[in-house]
Order: sequence, then C-alpha cells, then structure tokens
Amino acid sequence: MHENEFHDLSDDADYEASIQHGSASMVRTSSSKQSTSSEPEGSEIVYWKDNVAIHPTQYASERISGRLKLIKQGASLFMTWIPYKGHNSNARLSEKDKNLYTIRAVSFSEIRSIRRHSPALGWQYIIVVLSSGLAFAPLYFYNGGVREFVATIKQHVNLIRSAEDANVFLVNDFQDPLQRTLTSLDLPRAVSISKGTSPSVLAGESPSSTDQDGLAVASLDNSSTNQHKGKQKQKHNDPAHDISIQVLEKFSLVTRFARETTSQLFREHGSGFVSNEREKLVHNSNDPHKVVMTEITKEDPHEVPVASDPLASELEKLSMVWGKPRQGPLGFEEWASFLDSEGRVLDSGALKKRIFYGGVEDGVRKEIWPFLLEYHAYDSTYAEREYLVATKKVEYETIKNQWKSIKPEQARKFTKFRERKSLIEKDVVRTDRSISFYDGDDNPNVTILRDILLTYSFYNFDLGYCQGMSDLLSPILFVIRDESEAFWCFASLMERLGPNFNRDQNGNHAQLFALSKLVEILDSPLHNYFAQNDCLNYFFCFRWILIQFKREFEYDMVLLLWEVLWTHHLSEHLHLYVCVAVLKRHRTKIMGEQMDFDTLLKFINELSGHIDLDATLRDAEALCICAGENGAACIPPGTPPSLPIQDASVYPQLEDEVL
Amino acid sequence: MASRRRMLLKVIILGDSGVGKTSLMNQYVNRKFSNQYKATIGADFLTKEVQIDDRLFTLQIWDTAGQERFQSLGVAFYRGADCCVLVYDVNVQKSFENLNNWREEFLIQASPSDPENFPFVVLGNKIDVDGGNSRVVSEKKAKAWCASKGNIPYFETSAKEGFNVEAAFECIAKNALKNEPEEDIYLPDTIDVGGGQQQRSTGCEC
Repeated sequence: MHENEFHDLSDDADYEASIQHGSASMVRTSSSKQSTSSEPEGSEIVYWKDNVAIHPTQYASERISGRLKLIKQGASLFMTWIPYKGHNSNARLSEKDKNLYTIRAVSFSEIRSIRRHSPALGWQYIIVVLSSGLAFAPLYFYNGGVREFVATIKQHVNLIRSAEDANVFLVNDFQDPLQRTLTSLDLPRAVSISKGTSPSVLAGESPSSTDQDGLAVASLDNSSTNQHKGKQKQKHNDPAHDISIQVLEKFSLVTRFARETTSQLFREHGSGFVSNEREKLVHNSNDPHKVVMTEITKEDPHEVPVASDPLASELEKLSMVWGKPRQGPLGFEEWASFLDSEGRVLDSGALKKRIFYGGVEDGVRKEIWPFLLEYHAYDSTYAEREYLVATKKVEYETIKNQWKSIKPEQARKFTKFRERKSLIEKDVVRTDRSISFYDGDDNPNVTILRDILLTYSFYNFDLGYCQGMSDLLSPILFVIRDESEAFWCFASLMERLGPNFNRDQNGNHAQLFALSKLVEILDSPLHNYFAQNDCLNYFFCFRWILIQFKREFEYDMVLLLWEVLWTHHLSEHLHLYVCVAVLKRHRTKIMGEQMDFDTLLKFINELSGHIDLDATLRDAEALCICAGENGAACIPPGTPPSLPIQDASVYPQLEDEVL
Repeated sequence: MASRRRMLLKVIILGDSGVGKTSLMNQYVNRKFSNQYKATIGADFLTKEVQIDDRLFTLQIWDTAGQERFQSLGVAFYRGADCCVLVYDVNVQKSFENLNNWREEFLIQASPSDPENFPFVVLGNKIDVDGGNSRVVSEKKAKAWCASKGNIPYFETSAKEGFNVEAAFECIAKNALKNEPEEDIYLPDTIDVGGGQQQRSTGCEC
C-alpha cells in the first residue's frame, strides 16, 4: 500500500476520538526512535502506545493496562501488548490474569483482520483476529491512537478496508474459499474499494459526508442504532451479508479464541491458575463496588467483548461474554423510587430497562409482574389499581362460577367440560411438584392451579386448555399468591401467547419461522448446516418457544428470564434472540458432530438445566443489537408475543377441537 | 452398509395425554418409575440396545405429547418410524376410543410406504390402578379392536409396576425389525427373516 492511500483509513470518528482523548499524535514519531534492549536484534519499534487496556471482567475499573507496540523486524511486522508490572487498577487482578492476556510478538502474517470500534461514549478499541480464526481480547485505547495504529500498520503491511464494514481492516489475502465463506468476505469488492471505487473511500477525504452522522453523533441509547445506520451506508446490496461478518467475527471467532486460546494458556501457565478466583471476579454480584462499576460501563453502550473469559473449568462456558454486564435485581427501595406519591410509574421505560438488566427481587415481583404483564397500567394510581383489583376479583368469581355451578348431572351431558377438566387435572398434578409451593399430597395450590386453568378455559372458551398452559401459570401463581390476581395476570400473558396454543399451532410456527430467519442473518453457516440436514423446521426449539424456556432453567431462573423478556426492552421478541444465542453457543458441537434432526432434538432437550442464563441473556442482547432493523424485519408482524394483528378473540380452529 | 442402516429401529409411542407413554418408555429403558413426570412438550426419545435373533439393534423410542393439538408436529417426529405403539389407559374409556384416531393420524403423517401392513402394537396401561377395580375397558374389547385392525399385537401393562413392559417392547422391537423388508436382502445371512416373523406370530400375538 502506498502512502497516498493513507487517508483511506481515516475518518471522522478517528479524528474526533483522537481529539476527544487528547491523543498524543506525536507518539508514533517519538516512539519510533526508541528501541529497548528487550526487543530482538535488528528490530525497530514503529509504534508505541501507553494505556492500552484489556477489560477482563467487563468492568472498566478492573482493566489491565499495558503498552501496545508495533515492531518491525526485517520485512515482518509484529504486534505486542505487555501489561504493566505492579500497576493494577484493581488489586484482585493477579499476575496470572496479566499473563493470560499478554500478547507476545504476534506476526502480522498471522493476522487476518482488525476491527475498530468507536463507541460514541467511552474508549475506542480494536479486536485483532488471527488467520486461524482466533481473536485477542479487545484492546481499549485510553489515550486514543487507533487511527495511528491502523495507519502505521498500513505503512508496513498490506491492509485494506473491508467492503462490508468500514471498520474492518483486512490484513492478508484470503486464498482459502472456506475462510472467505466463513467470514463472508467478498474479496473482489474489497479490492475494488482499495482502488477507490466505493463511496466509503471518500469518507476520509470528505469528512462531512459519509460517516459523520453514523459514528460521531450519538446519545447513550441510540448510538448502536446510529452505528447501524452508518454501517448501512457502506453496504451495497445484502444486509444479511453485512451483519453476518460482524456477528461471526464477534461470536464464532471470539468464541473459538476463548476456548482454544484459553486452553492453550492454561497449559502454558500450568496448574497454578485458580479458576475459582476468576469466577469470583466476574460473578461478584455482591460486590459493593459493583454499582459504581456498572455506572462506568453504562457510559459505553458498546461495552463489549471480553473475548477471553477463562473463568470456569468448562470451556464451553468461556465463550462470548460480551453484552452489557448484568446488574443485581431491583429491590423495594429502588422500586419505590420509580413511583410518584400516588403510585404512578413515572418512567416506565427506565423501569423496564432496569429490569431488563437485572430482574426483580423476590418480594418485589408480586408488585411488578402485573405491570409487566400489562394487567396494571403504568400510569395508574394506587387507588385505581385497588379498585381494579376489587372489580376483577368479582369478575373472576363470576366466571369461575360458570363451571363451579355445573352439577354432576349436567356434567354428564357436557363432554367438553368433562374432558377439559380431566386434562387439566392430569396436568396440574405433574406441574412443578418438586417446588415446595406445589409439593405434597392435596396441596391447595395445585387445586388453585386447576381452578384458574378451568376458569380460563371458560373465560376463553375458544382457546380452552392446552398443555403447556400449566407451565406458564405455575410461576405466576407462585409469584402473585392470589387466585384472582394470578388469573388476570395469566389471562394478560395469554393475550400475547395464546396463539402458541392454537390448534393449527400458527403462533409457534410463526416464531420458529422467524427464528430460522434470524439464524440465517446472524449465523449463516449454521443456517446452511440446518438447511442441508433438513432441520429448518426448528422443531427442536419447539419447547423453548411454546412455554418461554420454562423447562430449560431452574425455577428461580425462569422467573428472572420471564421478567426480562416481558420488559420488551430492545425487542418484543428477545426470546428468539435467546434461542439464537443458545444455538450459537453450541454451533461448533452441532456442526462438528454432524448432528441430524433426531440427534439435535435430543441434544437440545438435554441442554435443559445446563444453560447459563446470565451469559445467554448477554449474548441475546448483543445479537439483538447486532441484528438491528434487519433482525426486526425477520419477524413478521403479529408473531407472538406481539399482539395479534386481528381480533385476539378469534381462534379459527374450533370446529373439530374437543379440548 | 445396509446392515449399518438397519442398526436403528425407530418406534413412536402415541396415545392420549396421561395414559403413561413417558412412564412406559422410562420403565422399559431405565427400569424406573416416577410419579413426577411432567407432561411431555414437543417430543423426546430414549434409546436402548436390544438383541433380536443374536443381532444387536438400537431401539429409538419416541415419546410424544398426548394432546391432539400438537399433532401437526408429527410430520417431523414420525418420519422414518419402523413401528408405532398405541397406548391407552384401561381406566379411561375415551383413551381407548381415541386409538383409532391416533392410528389414522399416524398413517397420514408418517405416510409409510405400505400403510396396510405397517406394524402397530397396542398397550393397555395402568392395569394396576385400584387393583383393577376402576378399569372400564375389558381385555376382550381391546383384543377385538386389535383383531379388527389386522391383528395388532396387544399387551396389558403396568408401567408403574413394570408388569409386561419388557415383553411388550420385545414384541415392538421385532415388529419394527419386520418393517424394513427391502433391507433384508443386503443383510448377512445370520439373520433369518422368516424365522423372525414366525417368532413374532407366536411371541407377540395374545
């Protein structure tokens, strides 16, 4: 590459970031004259940047700072990142942690691409992906300097900007068609870009035109959307293609890095590594500093990819923890702070967002679930709610009496009633009986489950009762602890999930279809694998969808998951991204072991109880943001839990349905 | 290659909700019974190695949701089945009456190449309940229905007590094996297909 193409690599964001952080633009020139005895003979440091950090735990305050260098030796360029000795920002980070992340002279011949991230708020960082598919943990440039870093590289090795994403720089040619497919890189287009035929090339020369609105202007909440807009300007024809590269890079490659590099490092650093320590580090939910740390990371909506997260013995768990850090649950006091003196929720958006990132404390759920389920209106007062509850209680009793008043003689002539009752009675006695709330003989709560379900089958006679409903009701009654209230909360939930239980299963099929579309854009190799193996019906995810993962997690985790899903923060269909996240976590195994439909179904069923909810939610969030509008476009209007487009009370499958 | 393909025998268990499909499967495969089974959502399967005429096979037993409403999933789950087990609860009249629906639904969704001769086995489960006093479907009635559908083998079982479960599945496995005649010609002659059929007619018919 020639010097005159230097500007191809710069853009507004770089410029602004360097100004913003007071980047020492002299660093390169000053450092280039330096050489230290630790460097190999005949080598020259061509770039040197201090305060480049790794965030091993998602919390910026726990960063490991170090020095990034580019070293030229003969015709080869090497990159190193060495953490400072005894310079911890956090005492709990051990020397071993530092060793784990240290980058010792990696040659650019081994590097495939460098992705640059320029969050509107927070620090610029890069992710370096090796040609093997591995990636290093993101390097945060606390003193700026990403632009120079890239520019320096460009002076020494062949570096071109990806046609797909202006923030991706491709270091080496991609001769291997498989790799090209994997990263969705379109080489001819990338080359044409470097020749100056694409508008993106002009970005650096006419700063006001292309990237500005995309990357420079952003507020806390919509910056990611803006970045998408900025990115969309770069793409030419296929949005799916565009997302694919981003996601693949962030997920599969980073995941592979996590798994492979970590295991390698474990070996390298021997058995002295105490994985428990790290586990504590990452999962320090009781840590008093946590709120502060969270505040800090809130500044950066892209708070991201700690690619290597070597915390547990199970390597699967190591992958892709990169969404926003999750918080502790919402407690009473904080809940009270959301209410005005008359009990209105002042900022329902903020409340939902808070719940999205941390869930709700046990005792507070009873208060909040009726809002999340849209039984109570956020702008209702204490008095209005009290009145509603009283009115609805009477109404509930009235509906309940419709079947309570059926005497045995009438029941004998009422087959449908008898059969519904029998089906419900069969199911409630096998619903969550291991939970103390429902265990033991003659448990009154089991009777309440039955009464609510039977009453619901009269309230919504067309839909009736269907298996799975008891799974949905059980946690609601457990949380609400009041028959009438639980009924109405359940009825509200069924307004959204009712189509899951239609005879024609249209609600499920719509969701499974949307899921297949999402996988197609978020993980096209996995999609292709499913297509080749006759798995595109996604029936192996049927149970996940039908009852919102009820059977996949421990009871208290289900409560957390549901309240997070019900916030509809980011998307009404976060549960579909949860599906994608889980599938992605196991994609290597699924494809590597060549699972056919049967094996895949069995595998998915057996994941029950083994899914890390916290990590999965973070993945799902990240995927949702990543997919953006393209993701939303995959989901047809009216797909549950979106409210049905037509009248919700019409279930067109009545004639032959007995139960 | 043909014999390898043949190693797997796929069996589908169908029947009304709560007749004991999951329990039968678990009793047979794991020799365990639990009161805590949940209603099956979607489908799942267990596998067990079985020996038929000195040859080993993998029996893949599919447990499905019992509610009629979930039948549209059958297309995916039933395909490639070698035998279909129809289960009813001898204490629930309706579950017996529905056997015909389950049979027909299966034939539609699985669309086997030779529906007339596709092997079914019927199990009347829960004969232990109340010492048999609550039973409403007699053995005679059940056998008559089985006879009218082309001599379907019939077993009375108790998944809870493990009664007759082993024998029933032995018969199921043999019938499943019988379902793939076109593969037989490729098999080594250690398997005597004619003998297998003969054994079936003595061992399974009640």
